[in-house]
Amino acid sequence: MSVKPVAHAHEGAKFLEEKAHYHFHDERLWDVRQKRDQEMHILPEWQELRQKASEIKEHTLANLPEYLEQFEKNAKANGIYVHWARDGEEHNRLVNEILQSHHAKSLIKSKSMITDECEMREYLEPQGITVTETDLGERIQQLDNQLPSHVVLPAVQKLTGDVAALFAKHYNTDPNDNDPHSLTEAQRQAARPIILNADAGMTGGNFLVAETGSFVVCTNEGNADLSANVTGLHIATLGIERIVPRMSDLGVFIRLLSRSALGSPITQYTTHFRKPKKNGEMHIILVDNGRSDRLAMDDFWSSLKCIRCGACMNTCPVYRRSGGQSYGAVYSGPIGAIIDPTFNKTKYSTLPFASTLNGSCTNVCPVKINIHEQIFKWRRVLVEEHEIPFVKKEIMKMAGRLLASPRLYRAAIKGTNVALSTMPRFILYNYLNPWGKHRELPHPVKQTFNSWYRQNRLKSAQKQSEKGGQVQ
Amino acid sequence: MTTIHQNARDVILAKLREKKIPQPEQFPLPDVVTLGDLDASPKRFEDNLLRMGGSLWPREEGESLEEAVRRKFPDVKICSATDEFKASFKITDLRSLKEANLVDVMVVRSPFGIAEMGAIFLSEKELSDHLADVHLAQHLIVLLSKSDLTANMHTAYQEREEFKSAAYGVLMSGPSATADIQGVLIRGAQGVRSLTVIWTD
Amino acid sequence: MKVGLFIPCYMDAFFPNAAIATLELLEKLGQDVYYPLDQTCCGQPMSNSGCNKDAHDTEELFIKNFSDCDVIVGPTGSCVHHIRDNFDAIEQTSEVKHVRQNTYELVEFIHDILKVREFPWAEFPHKVGIHNSCATLRSLRTASMSELGEPFFSKPKTLLSAVKGISFAQPQRPDECCGFGGTYSVTEEAISAQMGLDKVRDHHDAGADYIVSADTSCMMHQQGCAERNNVNIKFIHIAEILNGARS
Repeated sequence: MSVKPVAHAHEGAKFLEEKAHYHFHDERLWDVRQKRDQEMHILPEWQELRQKASEIKEHTLANLPEYLEQFEKNAKANGIYVHWARDGEEHNRLVNEILQSHHAKSLIKSKSMITDECEMREYLEPQGITVTETDLGERIQQLDNQLPSHVVLPAVQKLTGDVAALFAKHYNTDPNDNDPHSLTEAQRQAARPIILNADAGMTGGNFLVAETGSFVVCTNEGNADLSANVTGLHIATLGIERIVPRMSDLGVFIRLLSRSALGSPITQYTTHFRKPKKNGEMHIILVDNGRSDRLAMDDFWSSLKCIRCGACMNTCPVYRRSGGQSYGAVYSGPIGAIIDPTFNKTKYSTLPFASTLNGSCTNVCPVKINIHEQIFKWRRVLVEEHEIPFVKKEIMKMAGRLLASPRLYRAAIKGTNVALSTMPRFILYNYLNPWGKHRELPHPVKQTFNSWYRQNRLKSAQKQSEKGGQVQ
Repeated sequence: MTTIHQNARDVILAKLREKKIPQPEQFPLPDVVTLGDLDASPKRFEDNLLRMGGSLWPREEGESLEEAVRRKFPDVKICSATDEFKASFKITDLRSLKEANLVDVMVVRSPFGIAEMGAIFLSEKELSDHLADVHLAQHLIVLLSKSDLTANMHTAYQEREEFKSAAYGVLMSGPSATADIQGVLIRGAQGVRSLTVIWTD
Repeated sequence: MKVGLFIPCYMDAFFPNAAIATLELLEKLGQDVYYPLDQTCCGQPMSNSGCNKDAHDTEELFIKNFSDCDVIVGPTGSCVHHIRDNFDAIEQTSEVKHVRQNTYELVEFIHDILKVREFPWAEFPHKVGIHNSCATLRSLRTASMSELGEPFFSKPKTLLSAVKGISFAQPQRPDECCGFGGTYSVTEEAISAQMGLDKVRDHHDAGADYIVSADTSCMMHQQGCAERNNVNIKFIHIAEILNGARS
């Protein structure tokens, strides 16, 4: 089966046509970026925190198997069942086995990017298990059958009216209700009975602590604390890269996470799970799903430092204008552009090109991932591995030949009314056509600089220096 | 469980050992750091608690804790998780989630707060193992002592042994909140609708 | 000091006046300017598209043209960024290293190397909005970056402040990318053009009569967006103002 690359440019253009959506999306995320800036200005130690966070993560990744073993040993000693999954399929089978062994039919869960990555809901539903997302944004996306649009703001691409229409369909609320307060309340009222009657709870997690065998979940709604604690069964799924060595390391990360993500000092709930609750059972699934491969990639291993704050998305001018859905992936935005191709080079081959390489993402990253440089490097990898379209590669080959030859190049833009009328056809056709769709073309000029120079300066220049350029 | 999972473990660890790029000698573990403002004052705690959407409830002259809470929440079902606070219901009396779901106000004692975040800590110890019940209640009253404040997240993790001893430890900075619908900040999404701190000294 | 003048391909073809202004300005500042006639491009279009191998011959030509210069000056941030940071399609000989290490963007050359702060001939009685291209901002670091919270500095503004009659508009998002991004401007043309339009509107709403930049490629894109959408704003290269253009 051939895989089609994600049509980011096309989907992004469609999002832009929804003017109200686009304007809100851009303003909302820019506002979050500014709030993040304010937090940075409050803390003079901001850059030192970023540096420490980066160093701790790099150290942990360099010693990953040892820390995972330490974690496993301590978590087991605390009475937690520790499982390992090589990929999404294996993860989903594990969850299903645990649930089936408890005869659990209703699973409530807090937000977790990795279960989306594993496509867990899609796997469990046919097994007769009802999965309910308890985070509001994630629930909205679940009801609308969409991937999260953003790692911390899953439904940020929607307006109130979209949610009203969705809730009217599923919760029987007023489709014209345009008040986020009453819609949020409707979700609370709809979720409570499901929470109270659930058979099992599931959470993701932000950090694993090797030293104590505990894990930490950060949420604002408190839905993870409900999901984990209302039943006797708590399953937590985390990627193997989520680990830090010491409890004290969390001091650095908790101080950076929510400030980078939302511009708030901390999430409303920061929950540390170390042991199953009284008479309860706790399972942790440590998921690889491509992470060990990524750790073996020279230019890209450090993307595993990511703590999923979404700051790179908030600041990204392309993401803000194209919306998360246009990335067609679990991870969107700049971090998605460097992570997604590790899952599927063909499908996500377009994403590293969905960037102007402006570098703002790298500057806001709390763990100092050189995101824009990795985007740049991915382009080279994708070209070398023939994952970009033939036409595009041919254009570059021709451009390379033309620009390497002063004679051909001068011939191509020769004359007075240069360039636009006499540019080689392939450049005109492939470049100026799309250029001109939403923009005017540059104004034609009477003379290139080069010919002006020959006319006005060459003689004096040659007089001054015998080394002057050759006249053709 | 079954052997598949044991295999997965060994395969993953072997792969990580075999191929990883970052080499341990290049990336030493940095020393534990204590950065930033080390002010552990009640004022700093209060400012940040308010910022996070929490509130403070001052006791009036000669008023008992019970009277103070009743003044804020008259005529509602109050449940207490601490012997310091007398209520008709105790958290240990709650027999089911459905009972807990009917609680309007839960009163708890927090062993410490973090000034930087306006955060309070709760564990299974303070909640008598009723971990879900505190989150099912509509409102939360937290009793806290000014002498139990630590400055920031660094000092909290280094000084408070609870992080290493509690089975369940939650830091709460204000009430449940969401801004998932068009960016409008709303308190009380899934957990408590309000969080109020009363100083006990 | 032999100063090689590097005028990139699109500037040569579309913005000769900015190139002339650069040459004249460097001469006014007493520089011995040498313009190799056989120059074309730095190789960035191919490199940025991931087609680094296709940049090989162009990079080689660039070295041939400029290796005997003491410094190379280009009035265009993104090309200088390419040369300094990504110019690796060819073998890194000492000649190549010399060129890469000694290539400067015009503003940084005047500000850091010549250390000139006065332009007595310059007068520009207009309100300008400065557009720092992402290459000048985040790679060449000619101005402070808002994401890092560093103390404010701006080399282009320092230079422009010496120009008589000039005043500055303050856009809301001073270091938001304008969406040009080289081939990005065509591969994702709709998003690119929206970014450009948002950018020029931001400057326009801040009261700017002109957008001034050290990067002609960004301006070419922004001008196209402004003209298509009837945003009444003009564009000028920083070299033209510093060289004494009045409008």
